[in-house]
Amino acid sequence: MYVNKVNTHILPIEFEYHAPKSLDETVELLEKYGEDAHVLAGGTDLLPHMKQRRVEPKHIVNIKGIPELACIKEIPEGIHIGALAKLRAIELSPLINEKLPLLSEAARSVGSIQIRNLGTIGGNICNASPSADMATPLMAVDAKVHVYSKSGEKNYPIVEFFHGRGEVRLEQGELVTGFTVPHLPEGAGSAFEKIGWTTLDIATVNVAAVVSLKDGKIDHCSIALGACSPAPIRGVLAEEILRGREPSAEAMDEAVELIATCVEPRERWRRAPPEYRQRTSKALARDAVTRAVEAARR
Amino acid sequence: MSSKPAFKVLGKDTPRQDGVAKVTGREIFASDMAFPNMLYGRILKSPYAHAKVKSMDVSKAEAMGAVTLTPGEIPDIKYCPRLVSVPSSTYKDWKVLAEKGHYVGEPIGAVAAESEEEAQRALESIEVDYEVLGASFDAFDSMKLGADLIHEQIYLEDDLIDVKNNIGCQLEITEGDPASLEAADYVIERTYRTNRRYHNQLETKSVLVRPEPDGGVSIWSTTQTIHNTRLLIHDIYGIPMGKIRVYKVALGGSFGSSIHVNPPVTVAVGLALKSRRPVKLCYTREEDIRDHCAYQIIFKLKLGAFKDGTLAGGQMEAYLDIGAHQIQAYPLLGCVVGWWVSLYRLPYKEYVGKAVYTNKVPCCAFRGYGNPQTTWVVETMMDELAGMIGVDPLDFRLKNFIGEGELFWGQGPTVKSIIRSCGVEEILTKGAEMVDWYNRLKPEEQTGRYRKGWGVGRGFHTSSAGAPVPSSIIDFGGAMLKMNEDGTFDYVSALMDHGCGTQDAHAKIIAEELCVPVDKVNIIRADTGTTVYDVCTHASRGVYSGGGAALKVAGKVKEQIREFAGRILDAYPHAVRIRYDEARGQAVVYAEGIEGREVTYRDVAETARQKNWGTAASVESYRQPSCPPHFTGYFVDVEVDTWTGKVKLLRVVAGADIGTVINPKLAAGQVHGGFAQGWGMTVLEDTPYDPESGDLMNGGSVANYKVPTTCDLLDLEDLTVFFADTYEPTGPFGAKGLGEGALNPVAGAIANAIQSALGVRFFQLPITPIRILEALKEKEG
Ligand SMILES: Cc1cc2nc3c(=O)[nH]c(=O)nc-3n(C[C@H](O)[C@H](O)[C@H](O)COP(=O)(O)OP(=O)(O)OC[C@H]3O[C@@H](n4cnc5c(N)ncnc54)[C@H](O)[C@@H]3O)c2cc1C
Repeated sequence: MYVNKVNTHILPIEFEYHAPKSLDETVELLEKYGEDAHVLAGGTDLLPHMKQRRVEPKHIVNIKGIPELACIKEIPEGIHIGALAKLRAIELSPLINEKLPLLSEAARSVGSIQIRNLGTIGGNICNASPSADMATPLMAVDAKVHVYSKSGEKNYPIVEFFHGRGEVRLEQGELVTGFTVPHLPEGAGSAFEKIGWTTLDIATVNVAAVVSLKDGKIDHCSIALGACSPAPIRGVLAEEILRGREPSAEAMDEAVELIATCVEPRERWRRAPPEYRQRTSKALARDAVTRAVEAARR
Repeated sequence: MSSKPAFKVLGKDTPRQDGVAKVTGREIFASDMAFPNMLYGRILKSPYAHAKVKSMDVSKAEAMGAVTLTPGEIPDIKYCPRLVSVPSSTYKDWKVLAEKGHYVGEPIGAVAAESEEEAQRALESIEVDYEVLGASFDAFDSMKLGADLIHEQIYLEDDLIDVKNNIGCQLEITEGDPASLEAADYVIERTYRTNRRYHNQLETKSVLVRPEPDGGVSIWSTTQTIHNTRLLIHDIYGIPMGKIRVYKVALGGSFGSSIHVNPPVTVAVGLALKSRRPVKLCYTREEDIRDHCAYQIIFKLKLGAFKDGTLAGGQMEAYLDIGAHQIQAYPLLGCVVGWWVSLYRLPYKEYVGKAVYTNKVPCCAFRGYGNPQTTWVVETMMDELAGMIGVDPLDFRLKNFIGEGELFWGQGPTVKSIIRSCGVEEILTKGAEMVDWYNRLKPEEQTGRYRKGWGVGRGFHTSSAGAPVPSSIIDFGGAMLKMNEDGTFDYVSALMDHGCGTQDAHAKIIAEELCVPVDKVNIIRADTGTTVYDVCTHASRGVYSGGGAALKVAGKVKEQIREFAGRILDAYPHAVRIRYDEARGQAVVYAEGIEGREVTYRDVAETARQKNWGTAASVESYRQPSCPPHFTGYFVDVEVDTWTGKVKLLRVVAGADIGTVINPKLAAGQVHGGFAQGWGMTVLEDTPYDPESGDLMNGGSVANYKVPTTCDLLDLEDLTVFFADTYEPTGPFGAKGLGEGALNPVAGAIANAIQSALGVRFFQLPITPIRILEALKEKEG
């Protein structure tokens, strides 16, 4: 029956539309309608999913009426990015370009300008896609996710937010309000690498790396990989083997071999066979770390 | 080389008449249109690749207020939706609504309701009982003994014929002396497999049908031919032709996918007749991607050559995996052999072509109509053969290409003509100079991550499909031109413009003939009731044939202007001359040598009106005298990343022989677009099937069908286009076609470049990053 049902043009389901003006009003609605309610941010994931009937919410809660959720600002602990910050704003923000170029680079790689003008960072993360392009950089910079509900605010490291298998750690009645990125190590360099079939494509593999150097040796090192496991992951073993070493070809060889052991691409992911993702995650990890080292040297 | 006449209008860049509307988003396409009281239609599609509809219950949909349409309510007629060939070459296996789904997505029922959403809900309420049958997703499986027949009986013209082994039609041709091939010093024999590409035209197929009080219908639809649309609706529904008005509406791209009349049109007419209300039916992208694709062909090719670098002959078997219906499979069988044998001189040629049914989306023409596929195969093998003989692949081509004075039968064995203009040598030698072809080092065995390669590919396409004698293909058009009372002209023709600026080319041809700037010639959008027949905009015939018709009526109108002016000036009509007077903004007819003996077009028209002489006007049908090839060649440099398998374009040089260039920028745009489509064909595009669900692997999602964007190509500074200096004596002011030739050799050139980078040859398209890494692993571990 699905050929007669699934498309990306017609939205035949009926739902009630809510446009709350405050956080409290929002979580009230989310609490009240539970599973039947879906948060609407940019809608670039949610609307196609509704038309494709992957979800059929009875209540839509549009959070775009809460402007403070869109802020991008410097705070004592680092930088705070509101959940509603548009990918285009992150791409163009002078603050992000200066302090967290990894995020603007990753944002720039998402879809087209039209998509980036609508899509938000919160939506990108909450959509729970293993190929979300903002997930890997946020993981690589050890971001914290802020979650709000009727019982107040809490936050936890973004690595804990991804459950795997297309799920995020979000309970009923909870809303993501933003992300805090702690200060990067002094002089850190970063790079984001992505491979898709075309420029506008979602990632077949993406990698984010942050590296700092001390006396020519790798000091801080974080590598995050997307689209090659059921959820975005950190290449912990590779990070460890690189720390304290010069970024030599041999060190890189060893590191990318460890990358290959930690990714778990799935056979049923149709766009590329597991072996392809395995091989390109090595290639992209090497490229990302190499470029991050170059940036750190500058 | 030619000595071209000096043109005033042709060869200069002029803005398109629809340009402002298009760039400001004000152009109206069928899907933008609306009428009061209009219903929205939706089509019920077979969810199985092969299943009989045992029963269909539409009662819930009707209870919801929808109008429904089931197979039994439509005249029981089998037809072919493409009406370009003569009936004796036309196989018919289509019905408006099928009683058996032959592929996932085949229309089996329909609804219309007050909104698209209501129509969708009504559609989902229809209950169907199916008997699922065995399905085949591969041409060779289909031909196996005992495979379920996809069609048991089909019509050829009016004769019912039995289908055997799922072969819909076939063609065999042998010419020349087989001893030549037997005596060859070198022989290569290989199997090649092309991809199943989706056209991905911007506008999904759409239609708006308004039933008229007189029992007729008015139709605005995505089409490349308004007259054939009328013919088919007449054939199916029996409405007298004068009561069917098919209107021209801007076309949002087609690439051959609307040569045939689209299912939304035949279905929406049924819905409109039943509901007595206007019905609009627009395919979603998911429906469109399950509606049509390019012909997928499996080739077995054998070519032989002698030590001196001449070809000895060849054998080709072409298996067309046509999907579930015939649209133009039979004529394609003829074209495939035509494309093959018109590229290079073959003293012996032996060809077997078979069109095989599978339970997949029906294939239809896609820019080049089998020529990009055939040329990829031939150009790949030409390179391989050159390597075997030890000659430069470019020299090998120069030695064997078919050119001026030689027999050409691109559009198949019934469309033969002699080549009168040919720029192949100029394209290849000039291109070679530009890339310094002969002084480049042969790519060494490269071992690093990034490897560079370069390749050449050449090809052609026909300009129209009509030879000097009648063939099995119908090919003529017509035009109307009239002079307005202010000295401007209205040009009316049935020929559709796909967005290429074809009608603007006609306006320029008319302007050139009548000595006026092009803005004096208005392109009028008309309909079947106000135009004479034009077969279809296809086969790159728009400029050559359509322009020929435009020139013919312009010539006739010019004669009448001379006649009127002669009376006014008291001069002989055949002796008066015409020039354009910038200051007056008017063309002026004058008698040579006598000052002041002159009259403007405006005054000619106004005098003719006041004196009741009539309007200077002409309406004519036109059949072009020949079927000349336009030629193209590409030199492509690539770099392959052996870690990711991604191929990057470094530089492209493209040469084209299109006769007189009418609009240089639009012509270059055709080459850019042809290259882009060829790039997608070579490295990206395919629509494989999931044998379990019987549906497309991409699930109908265009997000999973990738085509290159401008960012995936190369900077225009690195893409050089040049035009050969040629003049086609049978074309309007020396012009030929371009649209399809711009694509045909691209895949061959890119594939040869990839081969030269990696030392690996690919025999299957597309050459994806995945396939490249797999091949490298096999070669290098
Ligand atoms: C053509 C196209 C191309 C794309 N290309 C890319 C690409 O290259 N890379 C990429 O990563 N993505 C891509 N996407 C996906 C999408 O655009 C991004 O993931 C985008 O960031 C989603 O943000 P949004 O605001 O539109 O999310 P929405 O669609 O509004 O929401 C997505 C999901 O998150 C939930 N949600 C949203 N905000 C919150 C919140 N604050 N708290 C709790 N739940 C929330 C929603 O309920 C929904 O389930 C593409 C999409 C399209 C249509």
